[in-house]
Amino acid sequence: IDWEIPINKYKGHIREVQFGKPKSEGGRGKVVKIGGQKALYRFEEPQPNAPVVTFDIFDMPMPGLPKNVRQYFEDVMQDPAEWAKKCVKEFGADMITIHHISTDPKIKDTPVKDAAKLMEELLQAVDVPFVIGGSGDPKKDPLVLEACAEVAEGERCLLASANLDLDYKKVADAAMKYDHNVLSWTIMDPNMAKDLNRRLISHGLDGDRIVMDPTTCSLGYGSEFSINAMTRLRISGLKGDELVNMPMSSGTTNAIGAREAWMKNPKWGDRAYRLPLWEITTGLTMLLSGVDIFMMLHPVSITALKELGKTLTT
Amino acid sequence: MIMAKVSAMDIYKLLPKTNCKKCGESSCMAFATKLQNKKAMVEQCPIMNTPKFEKNKKKLIEMLSPPVKEVWFGYPDKKCVMGGDEVMYRYELSFFNQTPLGIDISDNLSDEEIKNRAKYVEDFVFERTGEKLKLDFVAIRNASNDPEKFKKAIEIVQEATKLPIALCSLNPDNIEKALDVVKSKTMIYAATKDNFAELLKILIQKKESGKKFALVLSSDDIKTLKGMTKECVKYGIEDLVLDPHTTPENIAETLDKFVMIRRSAIEREDKLLGYPLLGLPINSYFYVLNGNNTLSKFIEESDKAAGIIEARTANALLNRYADAMILHGTEVWELMPILTLRQAIFTDPRKPQAVEPGLYPIGNPDENSPVIMTTNFSLTFYTVTGDFEKDNVKCWLLVLDTEGKAVDVSVAGGQYCGENAKNLIEETKIEEKVNHRIIILPGLAAPARGDIEEKTGWTCVIGTRDSSQVGEFLKKNWEKILNDWKAKNA
Ligand code: B12
Ligand code: SF4
Repeated sequence: IDWEIPINKYKGHIREVQFGKPKSEGGRGKVVKIGGQKALYRFEEPQPNAPVVTFDIFDMPMPGLPKNVRQYFEDVMQDPAEWAKKCVKEFGADMITIHHISTDPKIKDTPVKDAAKLMEELLQAVDVPFVIGGSGDPKKDPLVLEACAEVAEGERCLLASANLDLDYKKVADAAMKYDHNVLSWTIMDPNMAKDLNRRLISHGLDGDRIVMDPTTCSLGYGSEFSINAMTRLRISGLKGDELVNMPMSSGTTNAIGAREAWMKNPKWGDRAYRLPLWEITTGLTMLLSGVDIFMMLHPVSITALKELGKTLTT
Repeated sequence: MIMAKVSAMDIYKLLPKTNCKKCGESSCMAFATKLQNKKAMVEQCPIMNTPKFEKNKKKLIEMLSPPVKEVWFGYPDKKCVMGGDEVMYRYELSFFNQTPLGIDISDNLSDEEIKNRAKYVEDFVFERTGEKLKLDFVAIRNASNDPEKFKKAIEIVQEATKLPIALCSLNPDNIEKALDVVKSKTMIYAATKDNFAELLKILIQKKESGKKFALVLSSDDIKTLKGMTKECVKYGIEDLVLDPHTTPENIAETLDKFVMIRRSAIEREDKLLGYPLLGLPINSYFYVLNGNNTLSKFIEESDKAAGIIEARTANALLNRYADAMILHGTEVWELMPILTLRQAIFTDPRKPQAVEPGLYPIGNPDENSPVIMTTNFSLTFYTVTGDFEKDNVKCWLLVLDTEGKAVDVSVAGGQYCGENAKNLIEETKIEEKVNHRIIILPGLAAPARGDIEEKTGWTCVIGTRDSSQVGEFLKKNWEKILNDWKAKNA
């Protein structure tokens, strides 16, 4: 009986993106790398970087967060710097995502300079790299990201995000000027992802500074669309399409918005387990569809996902 | 969209080409298309069953048989069907035959416990988007290694339920005895390197005496598995399932093997590996229960942690071609995500997920009842009607043709708009059914409100964001909304 391990040949590879800068180069310390794969599966070629989880934190208390997420952060929600510290010290966060939610004109309309000040504080509080997020307001976000990028100059953060609904050129300019990466976010359509990457690159941004977010739909709310988009992008990238061979990011926290995760319903069993499992399943599905970096919220989900992620690269 | 590898024309060439319609189709070509889409079986053409067409029939079946063999067990009217897949990625076509999920039952349990557990499995249901998501079979585990207990457990399950049964024992003698009592076509777990010769001898005999079964071959070495399939096929035992071992201490190994086997079957056309794959998340459950709780910092109860990790394994395997799985945990919170992921992975990407647009009366509405407008995306429709049922909402539900898109998707995409709403109102003649002109819109449809009011002339009221709050919202506000409108439009 003969059988050979079915290893495929790939013309291309996935780009490697670096977050953070070592002290020796004048950074704050921690460096995290994602991507760099030369094959789809680890049995074809060892996978160079383990999947990374970045903890979501917010610049204001989030009363809307489900109780069994809040229970871990209740004591620090008033103070984003403490929140970040807790994620790093207690839960071993590799990275932190700060969502500058309060800058939304419809929420508090926090001025851009205040967001930048908070950013400075956060950079002092912990030594892990950051993902810098806005509020989702297409007018304000580029301004917020630009100001935060400036105070974080050289720290190779990930600016989240550039998308077709806002002035993505401004976001790309900030990344180029202050030495950061850009999250290129589109909705589930691989052609849209390619189009946005092309625009960013032709504007002058280095392709090795791009991470793609093809949108994570929660389990049960279109996760199969995400599976398809992500798988197709990863395979095209490995086949050599240089416009989509960037590592991918997933907004896994979306899963917590699914009613099956948060809703109290005795017929559905205990939320304390149901909610993290919904997030784990969503993240894990994205992981196995090619995602490299995960934005997540619940410490249990993060632990369970990271543990599995590690085995895939060892 | 990439279509099936065989063209309808290739199929047509082998058919009788008489267009006699006996298959129920209008022509041989129509039948060919049905065959191509797996919507019919070759046997349905009576002419193909005649000796003259024997050769063509064989060729056709060969041509249509997927690279992963379809294998079933259970009762003819309650089957667990495994395999049948043709592609590596669901976007290339679709995955077929959603993974049957089985729950283990140890024969060391008391009679009462066995019966209750089997009943629980049979009755378990989680409803989502109009579908009843269910468990599929029980795996009776010969934990006692006692053939009598094994047989007894089978009898209890057969008496209490109509669930398909997998027999789990590595002892060939016990399998032999159990086969005498099991009434359905069972799945035997498992032939291993150690018991292979002995078990095979028994099974060849059983097969000759007319017994039907599917057989699981188990080894962590893919070459060994291949050797075993070759041997089995030689003796006409062809309903095979492969178990490349689920190893909780290194689940990545397991995932690799699943991919390697599937890739060998589909991309390398290795027929001896073209069989369904069995995953055993149950191994993860017991691994955690036996002292490997890596979540203990947050979750001390090891059975809860075991449930989470078992589900993690199950969901990873679902993403990596598992065609059947055996689990131990039975809590709803654990099974919900597994069933939901299975439903997602196996939805056919070629079909829009939509319901018929139109007017749906909910709970005997009358002329004073509210009119509510949602979309025809199945997920939206079933979520909304499920919530309304739960909260005893009485209303006229207008279901807009948004080409199967959710509310905010279709608002953004322009299908949830005034023009479509106007047509829907005209087609459904809703004006004759109510004495007001008010439509309640979902919170997410607020941006479309102006357009809808302008094109339809109806007053729009923005409701809640989530349909689970609609019952409450109407109780509080509907009377006032209606009276205000009437006062203004009197
Ligand atoms: C899956 C998805 C898609 C899928 C579509 C799947 C489908 N069949 O609908 C695809 C990939 C095709 C897609 C495409 C687009 N999408 Co999209 N998509 C989503 C996603 C991730 C989930 C939507 C979903 O399934 N929701 C679940 C269903 C059940 O929710 P629902 O229909 O709203 O129903 C709930 C409520 O509205 C309410 N409800 C329903 N009826 C009623 C009635 C009453 C009276 C009341 C009170 C309440 C109520 O209760 C329901 C249950 O909670 C969302 C983001 C998100 N997480 O929500 C983005 C999202 C909706 N998409 C968005 C966009 C922009 C698009 C595109 C326009 C992108 C583009 N530029 O091409 C296209 C448009 C396509 C088109 N229409 O032609 C944006 C919309 C932004 C906005 N509001 O303007 C979103 C919000 C993402 C984002 N944050 O940017 N998308
Ligand atoms: S029964 Fe057979 S021969 Fe007759 S139309 Fe159908 S496919 Fe053709």
